[in-house]
Amino acid sequence: MSDLLRWIGQFENSKIVALLIFFVTFCAIIIYVFTGKRRKQRLESYKYIPFEDEEASQTQRKVDKDE
Amino acid sequence: MSFFKHESIEINAGLLIALTMVVISIGGLVEIVPLFYIKDTIEKVEGVRPYSPLELRGRDIYQREGCYLCHSQMIRPFRDEMLRYGHYSLAAESQYDHPFQWGSKRTGPDLARVGGKYSNEWHVAHMINPRDVVPESIMPSYPWLMENELQYADVADRMRALKKAGVPYSETREEYQANVEKFGQEAADKLNILAAEQYLVAEAQAGNFDGDRSRLTEMDALVAYLQVLGTMVDFSQYEEGHFVEFR
Amino acid sequence: MAQSAAVGTQQQYNYAIIKKFSIMALVWGVLGMAAGLYAALELAYPFLNFNIPEITFGRLRPVHTTLVIFGFGGSALFATSYYVVQRTCQARLYGEGLANFTFWGWQLSVGLGALSYMFGITQSREYAEFEWPIDILITLTWVAYFWVYVQTLRARSQPHIYVANWFYISFILATAILHIFNNLAIPVNLFSLKSYSLFSGVQDAMTQWWYGHNAVGFFLTAAFLGMMYYFVPKQAGRPVYSYRLSIIHFWALAFLYMWVGAHHLHWTALPDWTSTLAATFSVMLLLPSWGGMINGIMTLSGAWHKLRTDPIMLFMITALSFYGMSTFEGPLMSLKSVNALSHYTDWTIGHVHSGALGWVALISFGSLYHMVPRLYDTKLWSLRLVYAHFFLATIGIVLYITAMWVAGIGQGLLLRAFDDQFGTLAYTFIETVTFLHKPYVVRALGGAFFVSGIVLMAINIAMTIRQAKVEQAAIEAKIASKMARA
Repeated sequence: MSDLLRWIGQFENSKIVALLIFFVTFCAIIIYVFTGKRRKQRLESYKYIPFEDEEASQTQRKVDKDE
Repeated sequence: MSFFKHESIEINAGLLIALTMVVISIGGLVEIVPLFYIKDTIEKVEGVRPYSPLELRGRDIYQREGCYLCHSQMIRPFRDEMLRYGHYSLAAESQYDHPFQWGSKRTGPDLARVGGKYSNEWHVAHMINPRDVVPESIMPSYPWLMENELQYADVADRMRALKKAGVPYSETREEYQANVEKFGQEAADKLNILAAEQYLVAEAQAGNFDGDRSRLTEMDALVAYLQVLGTMVDFSQYEEGHFVEFR
Repeated sequence: MAQSAAVGTQQQYNYAIIKKFSIMALVWGVLGMAAGLYAALELAYPFLNFNIPEITFGRLRPVHTTLVIFGFGGSALFATSYYVVQRTCQARLYGEGLANFTFWGWQLSVGLGALSYMFGITQSREYAEFEWPIDILITLTWVAYFWVYVQTLRARSQPHIYVANWFYISFILATAILHIFNNLAIPVNLFSLKSYSLFSGVQDAMTQWWYGHNAVGFFLTAAFLGMMYYFVPKQAGRPVYSYRLSIIHFWALAFLYMWVGAHHLHWTALPDWTSTLAATFSVMLLLPSWGGMINGIMTLSGAWHKLRTDPIMLFMITALSFYGMSTFEGPLMSLKSVNALSHYTDWTIGHVHSGALGWVALISFGSLYHMVPRLYDTKLWSLRLVYAHFFLATIGIVLYITAMWVAGIGQGLLLRAFDDQFGTLAYTFIETVTFLHKPYVVRALGGAFFVSGIVLMAINIAMTIRQAKVEQAAIEAKIASKMARA
């Protein structure tokens, strides 16, 4: 473990370390965003926000749900 | 995942701003900051000196007229460019360029090594009407350069501003001495802020760049600048391939 | 009911500031594109410089870029961002006076900037030519903009911040950072308009193109994506295709863009590692760019028939298509081998315009056509004119970019051609300039199409506003006569 930490700390390895950090973060974000049924429902519900600014859009929202 | 939720970013403007700042800062920091610290960024070369007061005023005019929009000053290491323009440009050659004039478009040819390639008379004729010397040229004419007297009352202030940005113009005895050691007596005299106006006039008189000794025009300054471009480094001093390791 | 709701939104939101910015977007658009057309003609017919210093190509080109990017694009962004933030937060814009300050500060900066270039006052940094006093004014304006925007966000009536606002926020933040660092300069003295960049040579070049490309990335892309995420769904009458994709799109774009600036400096004296890194990230940038494009276009899935009846939708979808095309061309040109040919040639100019005309201008036109009638509570004066504008604009872009492909690739090939027998250069530089004449004429023709399109739009919008005033007066007269009878 201490060897690993030392390897990470070395300047020459910064490229690989950075690549790993960025890639893992990216995968984590993807997994977070695209998993979970409730999360999906919550996130996708936000796309109706632009339609809440006028009353006419309420009907539009219904139409979309009916489809 | 309970300790962190994307939701907390979505509903907190401050956190959204902070995280966005972090994310957009990384790329710039990684690419720009090391350029100031890694020694190999600028190779050590003999001969590159700051511009003389007259050349500096010429450079100001070069910028004023927007020359950089059609002419680059950056020769790339390709066979055709070497044949056309000369040795590829070194980082050291623009180390005193505030701002850089590498350009991004060649509607006209590269000018990084135009110095000494044409006579003063050619440059003057070309500036007054490019089509007199190159019939197919699409460059605008700049006859007013020959008409406008060169303004140089604030040239010392200009050099002082550049000195603050790191260009070794001299104001004190010690700075002057350091310049003598680094660039030689003749160059060091031109870099002396205290005698800037005097040397500017002297250089214009001696060079007679616009072909009219009676007047000191903007043409004098611009041609003086063009004639020094790319001439500072003597490439015959270096073995072929010497600079490759810095790329 | 509908009538009262419309009046309600007029009072609930600060529309006055949006109207001002929208009108100025069109004014700068017409002027800036006309300046561009004239500059293009100067390249085709150099006598048009007329030996007048103020209008020579070298001084006119920054006038063109500044008026279209900051005047047209900037004003369109101010207008749409103030509209979007109010309507997605259902909150009135913060700070009446401060918002007005952003308007006057911005218009003054753009106007003074353009004038100063004509008189030769310039920092000679592409897209950042403003000299230091104007830079300071821009900084103050921008801080005010940030504050107005964030305070409005904080007053929102619901917890979630809609994704369009994320893009606008990242654009405001990134532009602030870029503007400040790229314009660090030392004035000659307090009474001189001239300043010298704090950095020199390599570092200066890197800073400038870090700025230059991210001005494209955040000013001309992220912000207009904010526009896209609001106006495309609104115009289509259906929500964005995938909200989760928009989250990924946002973070990936914000992260990747900042790395790619150095691809403007391939094969130069910039250290190799920097430009290789930039090329790598440029290729990766294709993914979020296309993710966003797909998200926008798929919003219309199941409602493609709208393209047949709605010219505004036509503008938006075509804009997204050009966005997809130029974000494919960009990574291609950032490859070092391709760049060796394309750099310094008109291919770059063509690429910029397929993004700037195809994406930025078309999405702005679409959004303004959607927004202006709503601001004035009326309908567009003429839909047929919108169609005419659309076709003029599209033909203009196609002519422009094909001419520049021919010019750029052609010149690139001529410059690197060698004589088979002697190994000498096959063409002199001036021979390649002669070759450029025809493409330059076609390019100017394309520009003329595009300019006439925006002139039609300006007429259409002016008539729409006039019509709204007439309608308003009629309603008021009716109310007055009722009151008199009572």
